[in-house]
Amino acid sequence: MSDDAHLLIGKALGRTWRRENKTESYVVIPPALIITDSDGATWTLGTEYNVHMEFNVLRNDVDMGEFASRVEYRAGVLRIYGRDGWRTFSRNRRHFI
Amino acid sequence: MREFSVSAGGITVVGATTLVFVNPAAAPSVNLEFLRFWVGQSANATSAQQRVQLETQATAFPTLTAATPTKLKPADPNASVITGATTGAAGTAGINASLENGGTKTAVWDDAFNVLNGWLHVPTPAETRIMPAGFAQGLGLFLPIAPATLTNWAFGLAFREV
Repeated sequence: MSDDAHLLIGKALGRTWRRENKTESYVVIPPALIITDSDGATWTLGTEYNVHMEFNVLRNDVDMGEFASRVEYRAGVLRIYGRDGWRTFSRNRRHFI
Repeated sequence: MREFSVSAGGITVVGATTLVFVNPAAAPSVNLEFLRFWVGQSANATSAQQRVQLETQATAFPTLTAATPTKLKPADPNASVITGATTGAAGTAGINASLENGGTKTAVWDDAFNVLNGWLHVPTPAETRIMPAGFAQGLGLFLPIAPATLTNWAFGLAFREV
């Protein structure tokens, strides 16, 4: 399969995910399975969990070192919710603030 | 805890079909506590709503592609009591049914999702579904309505042996 240059391509669940557009605002994992951000990265929750029933946050199948019960995309900003409240993925794409 | 997943990706489904079917083993054996279910379409999808269902099915069970449960904890020395098989019989698991075979289905969870976002169902501990050994019915992840696009589906479930 050849991909258009504008296609957003990420990874989740060991698979490549392709989307024409980033995910709509207010989509939340769960019940959604994935979120595609404007970089084309695919976000989902992994199967590792802590005692608070929060799951590890995966970006392109890479563990971000964070646990959360929700991942939300709103107005182009990705946020996670856990025991520390809401936190936002940084503009430099490295950590949550 | 011994936890396993049964999943697949890049699958072409035949229509309204059972995506994953796990049938607990005959008693005495371990019970199965289902922890997570997911469905998504990895190809570049067109926005569409899709129904999804968890259902139990008694014999006759679906005809499936055999799928062996994968350990969620690779260091676990033991394999699951559930093995891969095409028949859906007790103690087996399979994916992507080619025939449903008419066994009575009972819907136990109904939902719908947008195929662009996929569907992830993670029951809280009080809501997890436990299928006891010897139950004589399997648990299926089922698309009750044929999806608009049949290709590139990814789906699965995770369970714990308790």
